[in-house]
Amino acid sequence: MKNYLFFLLILLAPCLLAQKPSIVSGVLRDAQSGETLIGATVQAPSLSIGNYSNEYGFYSLSLPVSEDSVELVFSYIGFETISRKVKPVGEIKLDIALSQIGTLIDEVVIKANALEDKMRSTEMSVTTLTSKEIKAVPVLFGESDILKILQLKPGFTPGSEGTTGLFVRGGNSDQNLIVLDEAVVYNPNHLFGFFSTFNSDAVKDLKVYKGGFPAQYGGRLSSVIDVRMKEGNNKKFTGSGGIGLIASRLTLEGPIQKDKSSFMISGRRTYVDLITREVNKANVDNPDYVKIPDYYFYDLNTKVNFTLSPKDRLYLSGYFGRDVFNFKDETFNFRFDWGNATGTARWNHQFGSKLFANTTFTFSDYRYKIQNILQGFSFSLSSNIKDANGKVDFYYQPNNEHTIRFGGNATYHNFITARLKAGSDDGQVKFEAGRDYDGAEFGAYFADEWSILPRVKLNYGLRFSAWNNSPAFYFNVEPRLAANYSVSEKWSIKGSYARMNQYVHLLASSGLSLPTDIWYPSTEGIKPEVSDQIAIGTSYLLGDQILITWEAWYKWLQNQVDFIDGAELFGNNELENELTIGRGKAYSPLELEIEKKEGKLTGWIGYTLAWVKRGEFKDINGGKYFPPRYDTRHNFTVVGTYELSKKWQFTATWVYSSGYVSWLPIGRYSLQDVPGAPFQTIVPVYGERNSFRYPPYMRGDLGIVYKWKKRWSEHDITVSVYNVTDRRNPYFIYIDGKYEETDLGEVPVGVQAKQVSLFPILPSVTWNFKF
Amino acid sequence: MIINSLKNILPIAAITFFAACNLTNDVNIDLPAYESQPVVECYLEPGKPFRLLLSRSYAFFDQFGLDSSFLEKTLLNDALVTISYNGQTDTLINQLNFDPSPLKIFNYLGSNIVPATPGILYKLDIELPDNRGHISGETTMLPKVPIDSVVVDFNPEPAFDTLARMLTYITDNQNEVNFYRRLLNYATLDSFPDQDFLVTDRFSQTALIAFGTGYELEVGDTVFNTIFHITKDYYDYAESYQLAVAGNLNPFSQPSPIKSNVSGTGNPLGIFTCLVYDRDTTIIHR
Repeated sequence: MKNYLFFLLILLAPCLLAQKPSIVSGVLRDAQSGETLIGATVQAPSLSIGNYSNEYGFYSLSLPVSEDSVELVFSYIGFETISRKVKPVGEIKLDIALSQIGTLIDEVVIKANALEDKMRSTEMSVTTLTSKEIKAVPVLFGESDILKILQLKPGFTPGSEGTTGLFVRGGNSDQNLIVLDEAVVYNPNHLFGFFSTFNSDAVKDLKVYKGGFPAQYGGRLSSVIDVRMKEGNNKKFTGSGGIGLIASRLTLEGPIQKDKSSFMISGRRTYVDLITREVNKANVDNPDYVKIPDYYFYDLNTKVNFTLSPKDRLYLSGYFGRDVFNFKDETFNFRFDWGNATGTARWNHQFGSKLFANTTFTFSDYRYKIQNILQGFSFSLSSNIKDANGKVDFYYQPNNEHTIRFGGNATYHNFITARLKAGSDDGQVKFEAGRDYDGAEFGAYFADEWSILPRVKLNYGLRFSAWNNSPAFYFNVEPRLAANYSVSEKWSIKGSYARMNQYVHLLASSGLSLPTDIWYPSTEGIKPEVSDQIAIGTSYLLGDQILITWEAWYKWLQNQVDFIDGAELFGNNELENELTIGRGKAYSPLELEIEKKEGKLTGWIGYTLAWVKRGEFKDINGGKYFPPRYDTRHNFTVVGTYELSKKWQFTATWVYSSGYVSWLPIGRYSLQDVPGAPFQTIVPVYGERNSFRYPPYMRGDLGIVYKWKKRWSEHDITVSVYNVTDRRNPYFIYIDGKYEETDLGEVPVGVQAKQVSLFPILPSVTWNFKF
Repeated sequence: MIINSLKNILPIAAITFFAACNLTNDVNIDLPAYESQPVVECYLEPGKPFRLLLSRSYAFFDQFGLDSSFLEKTLLNDALVTISYNGQTDTLINQLNFDPSPLKIFNYLGSNIVPATPGILYKLDIELPDNRGHISGETTMLPKVPIDSVVVDFNPEPAFDTLARMLTYITDNQNEVNFYRRLLNYATLDSFPDQDFLVTDRFSQTALIAFGTGYELEVGDTVFNTIFHITKDYYDYAESYQLAVAGNLNPFSQPSPIKSNVSGTGNPLGIFTCLVYDRDTTIIHR
């Protein structure tokens, strides 16, 4: 510990000794909506210095004291660049509002680092998207989905077709820290993973780290997906929405008190159940009719913010979403619902011109419940994870060479794992199982982004994390380091190292994400998961508009949690007996992205060559290493959007990846079983885990957007075609009996592998509007 | 029960749906090489002779070859099979034997009758022909857990009052961990079971355990209601082959290797267990 402190003091010495300059600071906002702008640039061209606004829109720039005015240039991709002259004396408060570049439908740019800024930043392994990209890319059933767009970026694997699964650089799906306004979202999926919980109309900003994690983030091994909701327009009342094939959505926002406070409320609901109910009603007298279950999901995002003083701002936001599945017939009276709820209260305070603080309290809740109630008897199975978190983050900019962040957080976790209740109403028959756990997680960090030399930047930091689930207590130190060397104006070389610890584990019964997966705490027997990732890379700016980024990375994973074969997940008080611990590794010599963010033609080309392995599990595969399901060797994506005019826009996506791996049977035997059981069941015999690779996956999608404007409103019709070549991609392969017609009738003669595909060519139409 | 029912219904419904939408097609795939293993099925049923089926497994894509040579190719003959218990050993003769209803086949038959006494430890020993190895296993006879009562009641909703359900009660010994297998057949014991699931009493808070059906029975229906009291070995084995079967059909299900309770140099699969059950046969009437 002493060594660490000494190291920090040495590194801090230059900023402590720096002379006192003039400081310009303030908040950058969108002039139309009042939304803060994240990652916007402020530069003093004559002095060759500059900085960016942080995730709260706050910026600070140190200028040498002078009698002469200095011109400051404020810019943000998609917005008009403006300049202001300031006289650099003392502390200067300068809030700036930037106007969007006029388009027919003004897309709010939710994330943009200019490619040049991205090249020069110490940040690497970062993925960003604009709302234009999200809305333009054709997706399944026409529902814009930020997680599905992320899957098209290099380093991400979806896990299976059509779902929002994210397996980042060889990590499991639970190793992604997904936060919405700083509150953890434990299950980011609707409809068994086919849609994400994020309504893109309500999203303001999205930033994803897949490596080189800044010290302020912790608690997961493989990625950080930081989603921020819109704050609400504090200038005027506006609305937007859309009607799609399976869901509709509506967002309203406006000032509570103009320029001082605003609100945003956004809702979305599917309506397939309304149709299926009518179909069921129409067939009520048909004895051969098989009733269709009711299914729907909905979500609601809300946010209000108040400017309490020029230096204080308060934000309150919340999310509530549920999936509901109902079925009732002679045998079942069944309801299965699951969903997330989150709440965030955030207070921003500016201490002078150099120090900015963000204090946040969040609440997260994810639960599922399965119920069946029949005359005199009932059954229910449920799980739940709840968090209450308090954190404070400081952003301190002593001069233009150092940007320092420090802070800490404490989180209380409560887990209810697979609570089973079943029995008769009179209490004569009663089954109960399930356990409750508590856990407290702590973090404290310090990080400094240091411009050592004009061409060399270093971001170094330490995170201390701890977990208490009495009697288990763990304390860990997580070093973080990232460096950037600018070889020239167009070329930079980067490197990073990050250690991460994860104290909560998702017990998933298959490679696919299910709502019934159980979150489980670290205990004496289940130690925290650990990852170490190193990455090197280079970025080259081709012309002004094309950025080519290559990265290579290696990730080591320890204390990986998996189930033993045939584990019992439900109604089990001793879940730990069903778990086994192992290790993992993943590496890629080539993760390549070529991106273009401006001009009529925008998009990216991504390619990843990677290997993912798990092993050393005492109870799995004889301890030998095996590839997890999502180990796809090659992933190649092309996404392009062409804006023909202000009215017409065309988008195309092409995806190729090696097939997923699967655990298929290699042998079989006939089981004659006991009297009354099925006779001569064919029992598959499985060999080594995941030793079979599916055929490659390939898909092309097309999208066309037509926009028009009326006096008080703007509209677009988005037509998208998913899987335009109608290719039958493998979703899963199973083995079925093969039959031949003989004199005795149809007899089984063998078995045949059958491939099931999920989606044929699927066109969809969505009408979007804004007023 | 609900989870099990869903596990069965969902994959079948999904495959039917995909097939109907022309989203299923035959593919040729290469699987890793597989070496055939001996398969033991031996259920010691009180009051019946010692008998055992010794067969062999196949590579997954081997043809069934359902001709006159099928049994010869499937059954593993010429092994030396003995079962020891209470200080005596019964050698099972390699002889094809059929139990007609429901149809069961055995290729090793003993001369003694399996005693019903709970607590007896049975040991199986098999010497495979041609020095192909040795197989051994052991199991214990459990006491029968009788069906206490069977209650038939009709749906109270007037629109469905011709349909009945059946509730079957047993009394569980709460001083020990017990495992059960429930089978429910309609019409005949040869029919595909309407219910087939495994249950443990680990989480039962009461001695009384109930097994139910939905309101799906009509007057005149015959219901065979069987509760097997099984060992943990058999529970694990049955669960593993059920998962192995489900894992092949259901993308959401994790497959399982077969958890056999026989072992040895012959690298066998299979189960050696006692078959202790109570069965109720009820014809539905008002």
